[in-house]
Amino acid sequence: MEKKKLFEIKNIRTYFFVEATDKQISEDSIKQDPRLKELYESDKYLKGKVPAKAVDNVSFNIYEGEVLGIVGESGSGKSVTAYSITRLIPDPPGKIVSGEVIYKGKDLLKLTFDEMKEYRGKEIAMIFQEPMTSLNPVMKIGDQIMEVILNHEKISKEDAFKKATEMLELVGIPSPDKRMKDYPHQFSGGMRQRVMIAMALSCHPALLIADEPTTALDVTIQAQIIELMLRLKKEREEAAILLITHNLGVVAETCDRVIVMYGGKIQEIADVNALFETPLHPYTEGLLSSLPNPDKPKGKLRAIPGIIPHILELPKGCKFATRCEKVFEKCWETEPELIEKEDKHFVRCHLYS
Amino acid sequence: MSDNSKDTEKIASVSILRKRWKKFKTIKRGYYSFLLILFLYILSFLLPLFIGRDALIVKYNGEYSFPIFKYYSAESLGQDLQGEANYRLLKKQYKEEDKGNWVLLPLYPYGPNENLLDEMGGNPPHPPSAQHWCGTDDRGRDVFARLAHGFNIGLSFSIIVTLLTYVIGIAIGAVLGFYGGKIDIFGLRLIEIWGTLPFLFVIIIISSIIQPNFLLLIFILTLFGWIGIVYYIRGEFYREKARDYVSAAVSMGARNSKIIFSHILPNSLTPVISFAPFAIVANIFSLVSLDFLGFGLPPPTPSWGQLMQQGLSNIDNWWLIVTPLVAMFFTLLTIVFIGEAIREAFDPKIYSRLR
Repeated sequence: MEKKKLFEIKNIRTYFFVEATDKQISEDSIKQDPRLKELYESDKYLKGKVPAKAVDNVSFNIYEGEVLGIVGESGSGKSVTAYSITRLIPDPPGKIVSGEVIYKGKDLLKLTFDEMKEYRGKEIAMIFQEPMTSLNPVMKIGDQIMEVILNHEKISKEDAFKKATEMLELVGIPSPDKRMKDYPHQFSGGMRQRVMIAMALSCHPALLIADEPTTALDVTIQAQIIELMLRLKKEREEAAILLITHNLGVVAETCDRVIVMYGGKIQEIADVNALFETPLHPYTEGLLSSLPNPDKPKGKLRAIPGIIPHILELPKGCKFATRCEKVFEKCWETEPELIEKEDKHFVRCHLYS
Repeated sequence: MSDNSKDTEKIASVSILRKRWKKFKTIKRGYYSFLLILFLYILSFLLPLFIGRDALIVKYNGEYSFPIFKYYSAESLGQDLQGEANYRLLKKQYKEEDKGNWVLLPLYPYGPNENLLDEMGGNPPHPPSAQHWCGTDDRGRDVFARLAHGFNIGLSFSIIVTLLTYVIGIAIGAVLGFYGGKIDIFGLRLIEIWGTLPFLFVIIIISSIIQPNFLLLIFILTLFGWIGIVYYIRGEFYREKARDYVSAAVSMGARNSKIIFSHILPNSLTPVISFAPFAIVANIFSLVSLDFLGFGLPPPTPSWGQLMQQGLSNIDNWWLIVTPLVAMFFTLLTIVFIGEAIREAFDPKIYSRLR
């Protein structure tokens, strides 16, 4: 059975405009791109700046009820992709240059701030990486959860309080009615992340974006937090989760499909089993082989050599060419297309074209 | 176990503000200064009960009257005088007559605007004496009474001005800091232009046209006083709006007004709160200087600056200079102590070193 599309993300390009180091290169590439040319002509602020293509032409769908993982190294554009969906891109310097995020027939990127706030929290909620700083230090926990509820639902404060208490209980905070009156500094990191989850899920959003929700947490807490997100998702059947992580273990355990990103582009999309069993892209292979394998505890871990190049100095052809083991001439010249190599298994690599 | 839960209950829900208040209490010098000023300030609203010319209660021919609330002519109380009764003389008179009539005077029975020339004789200013603790000024008015009333007026004035400038400064600073960009650039330029207006000249010009009163002076000082706060709040907003909790609030669909007022503002108040006592000091000081220069409150109002002005023109009469200076010195000192303590209480860094 074909699953229904919940979100359609089409050709998103999120650029950060930064001070240029080498103007010649940038001006050429700007002239080739009609949309950029238009932007540069209309906005004088951009003069003398070059676009750092944090997310470049990313398209994917989020289906109902699925857990979609985005993996990649730091700086590969996975967080910016997710932030682009909720439009939490600081502008300036960032700008969503083009693209569409279609939800229920509406393009979220065309809404005003006021229209957008109806969707934020209610339809799309986020969990951030750093639970220590993502709660307001001078507001009571309860008030912060209640605020989300009161933003979107027309109910009395008493009801909101009750609902917030229920949410706290649901995420496993002991004696929630007492803790409602506590301040964030009285909570540990794991507890705060639970509170964040309670806030994010208090309006039962259609899409939960979790931006490395377990990175800052203890290993012992990580599994609980992930489980919590998955369990609460069941409140709304069609709800989907977009899980951004660089922890492949978490991906293997929780995700249905995985997007592998590198250099601001999608390199591979596959079902989780297909990805782990038959990774197509050399980058994915590299990621997987850098995982410790419990069956061969004595072997050396293999790392992908080198580091991700500076975002302004990405190669012209395949973005991964600088570090790829299987690189050949064509890789440097033209960028491969994202093709469907096997059923629902997309890859962007010249090895397969 | 039960002890434990009790403890956690006690620890629970201590807001940062309350924590800081607790820390403030431990800084004794500031805390006691605060209590002292608070006590004196509240007391100063009841001043007529302690320092004033009107008697609290008069019993005359079996009837009680309360001159502190109401005007009584001298005749109606059996005194052989024109106009309002003089209660000090009345007391003496009743005593001599010994008819069971009596007068209950305030502890210090001299009013701030009362001319004592008739009773004292000689030429004003009179030096300090047992009756007049700080002597009288050049119009024969009791200096101590004037100082006490001046305390209330000066402190009220500067608290009101501080509050008003804070409200305006915080609102404008918040808007500039939050929206940034063009609003910030143009807003700041306007503020800079406004800030270059010479405050003293404006006051001199205005008061040469109209006699300034309490409200007008508050208005003028507020007009020029809010600028400093804008920079603090704007800077704080610039810093705070990039914090994670703000993006978290945005991602949950909060309104801009909610983000400004309930998320960023409470987190940006620290410098403003620690600055407040010093602002109050500055405002007391400006009122005193304006009064000293003669552009302040209209003449009969008891004010410290005006006393100092008299002291300057009667330089031999030391009490006219020393008493307002001492009063001002101690008032400002206590407020500065409070300010120091608040600053320390809000300082997250505990002063320590490796030993």
